[in-house]
Amino acid sequence: MRIAAGVDVGSTQTKAVIMSDNGGLNIVARALMDTGANVQRAAERAFDTCCQQADLHSGDVGFVVGTGYGRYKIAFGNTQMTEITCHAKGASFLCPGTRTVIDMGGQDSKAISIGADGEVLDFVMNDKCAAGTGRFLANAAEVMGISLDEIGPLSLQAKHPVKIATVCTVFVESDILSYLAQGKSGEDILGGVHTAIAKRTLSLARRLNIEPEITMTGGVARNVGMVHALEEVIGRKMLVSPDAQFIGAVGAALFALEKLGQSFEFGIWRGDHATSGGH
Amino acid sequence: MSDKKEYRGSIHQQQKNLMLAWYDQLDRAANTGDPPTVSMMISGNCVELLEGFGAVPIYPEVNALQLAIRHQSLDPILAAEDLGYAADNCAYVKADIGCILKGITPTGGKLPTPTLILCNFVGCNTYLKWFEHTAKLQKAPLYVIDVPFMRADTPSRSDVEYVVKQLQETVKKLEQLTGRKFDHDRFRQAVECSSRSEELWSQIKHLARRSPSPFDAYFDAITLMGPLYVYRARPEGVEFFEAALAELQAKSDAGKGVYEQEHFRLVMEGPPPYPYFRTFRDMFAKWQACAVASTYSTVGGLWEFGFRHDPDKPFESVAMHMIAQNVTNRNFLQRYEQIRRYVEDWNADGVIIHFVKSCRLFSAGQGDMRDYFTKQLGVPTLYIESDLEDPRYFAEAQTKNRIDAFFEALEHAKATAPVRA
Amino acid sequence: MYFFERSFDRCSDLGFPSVRKWKEQHPGGQVIAYFPVYAPVELIHAAGMLPVGLSGAGDRLDIQHADARFGSFICSIVKTTLEMGLTGHLEPFDGFLFSTICDSARNLCFVMKRNFPSMYVDFLHLPHNPSSPAATQFLAEEYRRVLGELERLGNCKVNDDALACSIALYNRNRALIRELYELRRRSPELVPTSELYQLIRCGNFLPVEEHTTELEQALTHFPSRNAKKRDSIRIVVEGSFCEQPPLPLIRLIEEAGCYIVDDDFVIGQNWFDSDIPTDGDPLLALACSYLDRSVYSSVRHDFRKPRWEGLVEKVRRSKADAVLFLIAKFCEPAYFDYVPYKQELEGAGIPHLPLEFEEKSFTFDRLRTEIETFVESLIFD
Repeated sequence: MRIAAGVDVGSTQTKAVIMSDNGGLNIVARALMDTGANVQRAAERAFDTCCQQADLHSGDVGFVVGTGYGRYKIAFGNTQMTEITCHAKGASFLCPGTRTVIDMGGQDSKAISIGADGEVLDFVMNDKCAAGTGRFLANAAEVMGISLDEIGPLSLQAKHPVKIATVCTVFVESDILSYLAQGKSGEDILGGVHTAIAKRTLSLARRLNIEPEITMTGGVARNVGMVHALEEVIGRKMLVSPDAQFIGAVGAALFALEKLGQSFEFGIWRGDHATSGGH
Repeated sequence: MSDKKEYRGSIHQQQKNLMLAWYDQLDRAANTGDPPTVSMMISGNCVELLEGFGAVPIYPEVNALQLAIRHQSLDPILAAEDLGYAADNCAYVKADIGCILKGITPTGGKLPTPTLILCNFVGCNTYLKWFEHTAKLQKAPLYVIDVPFMRADTPSRSDVEYVVKQLQETVKKLEQLTGRKFDHDRFRQAVECSSRSEELWSQIKHLARRSPSPFDAYFDAITLMGPLYVYRARPEGVEFFEAALAELQAKSDAGKGVYEQEHFRLVMEGPPPYPYFRTFRDMFAKWQACAVASTYSTVGGLWEFGFRHDPDKPFESVAMHMIAQNVTNRNFLQRYEQIRRYVEDWNADGVIIHFVKSCRLFSAGQGDMRDYFTKQLGVPTLYIESDLEDPRYFAEAQTKNRIDAFFEALEHAKATAPVRA
Repeated sequence: MYFFERSFDRCSDLGFPSVRKWKEQHPGGQVIAYFPVYAPVELIHAAGMLPVGLSGAGDRLDIQHADARFGSFICSIVKTTLEMGLTGHLEPFDGFLFSTICDSARNLCFVMKRNFPSMYVDFLHLPHNPSSPAATQFLAEEYRRVLGELERLGNCKVNDDALACSIALYNRNRALIRELYELRRRSPELVPTSELYQLIRCGNFLPVEEHTTELEQALTHFPSRNAKKRDSIRIVVEGSFCEQPPLPLIRLIEEAGCYIVDDDFVIGQNWFDSDIPTDGDPLLALACSYLDRSVYSSVRHDFRKPRWEGLVEKVRRSKADAVLFLIAKFCEPAYFDYVPYKQELEGAGIPHLPLEFEEKSFTFDRLRTEIETFVESLIFD
């Protein structure tokens, strides 16, 4: 039996999973924690938590692939891959039939077009001006004094969603304040906020050929309002795995398992250690 | 800083010497008023004309990019923003204005107030504003050569006549300003030199069609571009390009490329992020990805498809160069075509589009370009954003992430795809 | 509701009812859209076609496709124009004319060309060097070229008489606009800018004959109205020559206590300071007029006379107290000109306020606060 792990160090949260190929591929442990200031420590803790859960020693894990923004900070990782490649792989495993991945995270939004084996065919990421979907929602929640978990369900109750023209994290604040001053309801404002982001995300995904099935991943996938708003503008249901948050880590773990099965040296991305410290 | 990747032959030292000699001349001009100097834009520049007066060009863009490479661009940018320039104005302009305000130069030497500010308008509306503003600031005379934009495949008779007339008006203007008579013979010789430099440069560009390519046609080409703009119309330029061609040819004949193994061949579109030039290059070096062609290296002139200045028709050929043979005055679809040709004839694996916020001429509509290459032609294309001068717009982690993901996908595609015919 | 407000509504409708109506009345007739700022509408008119000035889609269209083509740091009008095309709204148009105003619009022209191959899309090179004697001949040739394209498109031949006739019609139209602007300078209480703006902007859409009638009606209507002079400051609005601010923003400026006594809204309608000669070679007359009779603008370059002097003259002529810069977000020509404008105004002791807008805005509280504060600072100075 081969055992491997994937660790996805994101800008806000760190995710780790351990997988085995014992008669089929299985997730045997998963862990999630805030990344915080010490990226390396977060990666270690997530990985250790997984090992404990699965009752394993770290030495039992044959291969570790790191992904996410902090991937180069994972001292115990064997190699690194981008979360784009890992999301594609993970989505194709957790939601078979996936051809398009829409990922909305704290820092970035991206759309990935994937092939039958979960390989990346093409991908696009948000423009500078529309960075930070998660942050945008968090800001909106804060201005309105509502917790981040509540805004999605509330937005579903909008009757006449307001129009939000900006997707700028800074200016959305004054837009919201204006609507509050006009006496618009929180539901309608949140409905407007969600729709604005959904439209913006769709316009990003249109840079690819959007083929079904469409799978939504990333932290924002937990927001039912966002899922609904996106489905509305796309005009089609999306797949959302209960493990949506772990998809990057799952993809990384799947790659790690593949590496265990291969004997060849795949040095090209290891070259990174040689160049990344130089400047 | 040690450097493993890029080629360092004797041409790099020669290039450096030439450029320092140029700055020395400018310093002398600033101190003594001689030689006369003409401030011009790189795009479709008419440096040949200056030779007829023994005048030396000043290229504000070269100064701006030199500052950015040396991590000194932010101060002058901020000085210009204090004056009222917007965050979204071209940062080349802001850096240049800031330098004039604060007396900053890339070498620490002096830069003269130009004898003439000659705005060669080649499709870039920002050039007009830029030179208008520096003329106001420096109280220097301004003349505009209005170059008709390439709205058809070839320039019309009327387009060429219009530019030739303006070149002749420029000659009159310079005769007044310098008190010198225009030397027609020297002008013709300059055009002759240019045609030879261009032939050599074109041959260098075509060396990149070999696999492996002996130089990076984006990052290394930039080193060669300085002499191309300042010296191509002079014997020193011809000598330089002769040496460069010989050196790169020898390297290529020995089977050597930019990397030990050339893993990917790319076409680069858009100017580089000068404030992070080294960092950016390393992101490609890590994947042993070599640029085999680039549009940016054709800003000053597009020669690899056959155009040469013609000593038998000096004014007409200078006009033709300004109208039709530089990437900025060619229309957007002609740029698509240029890139497509590179992908095919230079045998590239993909296209990198680098959107720079400062330059709408280059960047506005590059999403459509991406659409064309990925959806219509099926060429893997990566779109990334930053800036050519303003260090505040480079997001290192995001950029690296996108580049890594692009190559991960390309690697997979290359591993599984049948070998290209 | 005034007649011009009805027209304005009709002209703002992205179904383009006025264009469709014209096509019904002129079976086989062709409609040529032009991107701001200026276009030689006389050529289009003389070819028996309807020229239509498209100034973006305002707040009536969500950008859902064009973002993918134009991305960050590009102004809204470029995107909404393409969006209209990508969503089928431009179906009633047979052609699209662009010109040398800015780098984004320049590239848009060719993106349109690729995406709408069946449409006639052309790019007009308006000269940037009026000090060259060769510029006039070049521009006349350029007009001849475009006219040739129109003739081919419309399968017609346009003679000098037809051109002279069109020039005369537009001369009349522009003379009336100049008269209205003069009336507003004299008695701004009679001519609220939010109304005048709508009236002028309809000229982008309506056949010139029809629009001229509306202008004539307005010239009898405005002076006869019973309006009291308010305690307002007189301002010149500068910077909205291409992308247009939302109408509520213009109203807001007036409500905040400003008489707008001059502006550069839809400036293409008001491009010449005097009539274009109707005798002689009409193309040469048009070319000469572009070079020597046109108003200053951030997208028309003429180094014989700096634009900033033009702005100060405008302020003096209209006896304005201040200048309000209304700059479209990401409009680089306007951003650039702001600096010399600002320096010149400061030198002349004329106060100003720079503001940024997007054609698509739904809340204006931030702008309102800024404008009101500015007005207060001037009144209580």
